[in-house]
Amino acid sequence: MTRIVVDPLTRIEGHLRIEVEVENGVITDAWSAGTMARGWEKILQGRDPWDAPYVTSRVCGVCEGVHTIASNQAIEDAFGIELTEAGRLMRNLFSAGYYVHDHFIHFYVLSALDFLDIMAIASYEGSDPGLLAVKSKIVGLVSAGDTSPFTPRYTPDEFSVNDPETVTTLVSHYLKAIELKAKSQKMLSYLTGIQPHPNALMPGGCTATPSVEVLQDLRKLWQEQADFVNNVYVPDVMAVGYGPLLPLAASGFGATNGNYLAFPMLPQGGSASAGDISFGGSNPMFRGGVVKANGERASRTDISNLTVEDVDYSQITESVTYSWYDYPAGVDALHPSEGVTDFNLQKQDAYSFLKAPRYNAETMEVGPLARGMVNQFPELVDFFNAGGREGVVARHLSRAVISKQIINDGLAWIDRLIEMRLAGPLVGMNEKPVPKTGRGMGVWDAPRGALGHWIEVDNWRIKNYQMVVPSTWNAGPRDENGVKGPYEQALIGAPVPDLDNPINVVRIIRSFDPCIACAVHLIDPHTNQRKVVKVA
Amino acid sequence: MDIASLRKPELTRRDFMKVAGMTAAYFGLSQALTPQIVQALEENNGKAAVIWLEGQSCTGCTESFLNNLEPTASSILLDTISLRYHETAMAASGHQAETALEETIAEGGYVLVIEGSIPLAEDGAFCTVAGRKFTDIVRDTARNAAAIICVGSCATYGGIPRSGPTDAVGYLFRGKELHHYFDDVGPKPVINLPTCPVHNERLTATIVHYLTFGTVPELDQYNRPYAFYGKIQHDNCTRRGNYETGRFVTDFGDPNQHGYCLILKGCKGPIARQDCWNRKWNNRGNYCIDAGHPCVACSEPDFYEDTSPLYAHDYDFGLPPL
Repeated sequence: MTRIVVDPLTRIEGHLRIEVEVENGVITDAWSAGTMARGWEKILQGRDPWDAPYVTSRVCGVCEGVHTIASNQAIEDAFGIELTEAGRLMRNLFSAGYYVHDHFIHFYVLSALDFLDIMAIASYEGSDPGLLAVKSKIVGLVSAGDTSPFTPRYTPDEFSVNDPETVTTLVSHYLKAIELKAKSQKMLSYLTGIQPHPNALMPGGCTATPSVEVLQDLRKLWQEQADFVNNVYVPDVMAVGYGPLLPLAASGFGATNGNYLAFPMLPQGGSASAGDISFGGSNPMFRGGVVKANGERASRTDISNLTVEDVDYSQITESVTYSWYDYPAGVDALHPSEGVTDFNLQKQDAYSFLKAPRYNAETMEVGPLARGMVNQFPELVDFFNAGGREGVVARHLSRAVISKQIINDGLAWIDRLIEMRLAGPLVGMNEKPVPKTGRGMGVWDAPRGALGHWIEVDNWRIKNYQMVVPSTWNAGPRDENGVKGPYEQALIGAPVPDLDNPINVVRIIRSFDPCIACAVHLIDPHTNQRKVVKVA
Repeated sequence: MDIASLRKPELTRRDFMKVAGMTAAYFGLSQALTPQIVQALEENNGKAAVIWLEGQSCTGCTESFLNNLEPTASSILLDTISLRYHETAMAASGHQAETALEETIAEGGYVLVIEGSIPLAEDGAFCTVAGRKFTDIVRDTARNAAAIICVGSCATYGGIPRSGPTDAVGYLFRGKELHHYFDDVGPKPVINLPTCPVHNERLTATIVHYLTFGTVPELDQYNRPYAFYGKIQHDNCTRRGNYETGRFVTDFGDPNQHGYCLILKGCKGPIARQDCWNRKWNNRGNYCIDAGHPCVACSEPDFYEDTSPLYAHDYDFGLPPL
């Protein structure tokens, strides 16, 4: 029995630590722990409510704008603000554009290296000049003796793609994805001022007033993103998902217990009322909903007839039994509108700065797969029919499907905005003063899943502000009943045949696109001893 | 889109010229220096070792850095620097990552980039990586660094987390004050590049400037390069004319006020030292004020604790009344 420390788990955002127990080459237990805290909710107490979207954007520079949107919605709900049509369109366009580059960057830059034997490039024998250039680049790094940041790395295993042409192509797309992300951020800055952190998205809409020329340039850049998604990203994901990774997908590798929660997003109705907007808006492109587990561990073979329930937002609670926070005596779980953020770093048995969110006392996986299950993506149904199952590969596939739909449908929003701009100045904002007291909720399905903000205003100032974010749903610790969080569930049963090379652990965790940097530990349950094995 | 259009060419002399030309331009140096910069990059193959630490960060500065288009971020990553440790970008995990960090520290002479604030409360327990306190990691990596670049307002002054319960500070400053917490590291060239997030061009040009000349550019009292932080937003504002003639935004929703001065909406332009008004953001895409959003002075030590509320005109600029 060996205990391995793998720390930090990289290519994710933030700081997370995971411990796993391994017996006979299989993970039998796991703990997920956030290891960094800034006390954001404390920072907001007593502030002007208008500050909240700016400040909450800085919770995360990767999931930046979605916090701004949820915060805007919570304030609109509390203040009674209706969104203008131009405001809704600009907010949607920001969100849609950001989703797409976030997803393809996750696939190529953050995840692909777990599935590619990058050194296979050296064996590329084809004659494509683009791929030969990539080959000479990588070979050049190797011969110069400095292959940072591609090495060191885990040893590729039987699930690693090592066909030289495929690997070389994917690495060329890795480089292209970085460039297209920068272009996407430029495109979005037309609406938001700067990227990351979309300052111009404010309660009531968007302060930007782009000219027709700027909107036409935005459309051109948007089309370039659409071309990449339709012709490169989606085909790549399909090719590996139905190709070399299908056996992994068919095994249900990295599935949680199969509870899914998604919030609505991208309203497509006209201008919408405050209450409507706070619940994701009318006619959302992706609906919200709940899909309940079908057992201890997800084992669905056909998803064409899932029962999808509407979300009851009053069923959301957070527990802190294993978190470094105190709740009032005798209280196990609180609804976020009544949430408390009181640190206690000396707390017995606590192991995370994350709270443990629950829906109707159950854990929920949130994110692209949840969105796909709730919205019954036909591409996902087909994938199941071809043998794919819930888990790591289905998460990657869902991201690609979502990206395709929003980048293609978003063109109509730009056209509508151009049409409105040609008719006169854009009225992107509907401003209202801060009320003396108020309560509001804003929800949105962020790229990483269900995101909720709750605000309480008293005496014109923020009395309480609580955020329940996607990575808390997925990466949260056990609750008062000892029920494990989704990361912890997903790791159990995963094979770790070589303790020196726990590549499957990072594949599973990264498939969720965590927004918290991570440390992974393997623990022996019997000796409870830690042997540090260097992973070279 | 065919594969040929995705070609990532090998780094050529033309690419070096691009990097060099950009650096000279951003620092306001003569373009006559471009050949010297090209030569410096070619001779070292430009590959200076870089360690990039993330503390109480949101990764927004990393995101911003990756937004560089001229030259592209991937060409900087692969051709200009040797990025030995960066949690968000590197392939390695766990011990491989820690080993890469240890080996680079042992080599010494690298550029240390710090992103995110450093929490001093509870003896550093609010941020740990690999089971180690972030304060200790900063001290160990700073000791052997040739130069330290603090990116973003958090690593410079503590940023927004400074307003929280974790006693979050920058490498040198807690707001306006020097905190001396890392004095035992010894004197190091420290370049601060505040704003929330860091501006990709300011960072890229600072790295290349350092690689070329081996010296830091001229700095102000907060260790910010004059070239980027020497001028005041308000004095150079694209909306200055509206300030002078008394046209102010009082209602964001009123289309008749588009383009008016934002000072009544809390704009902190009069205390903000930066060149956003000229440089713009996202490869000349836009910037806050052109998007109708007040400047929040994120380049200043007052941000965020003393510039809140962000959207109310109750900050004493020491200016004549409007």
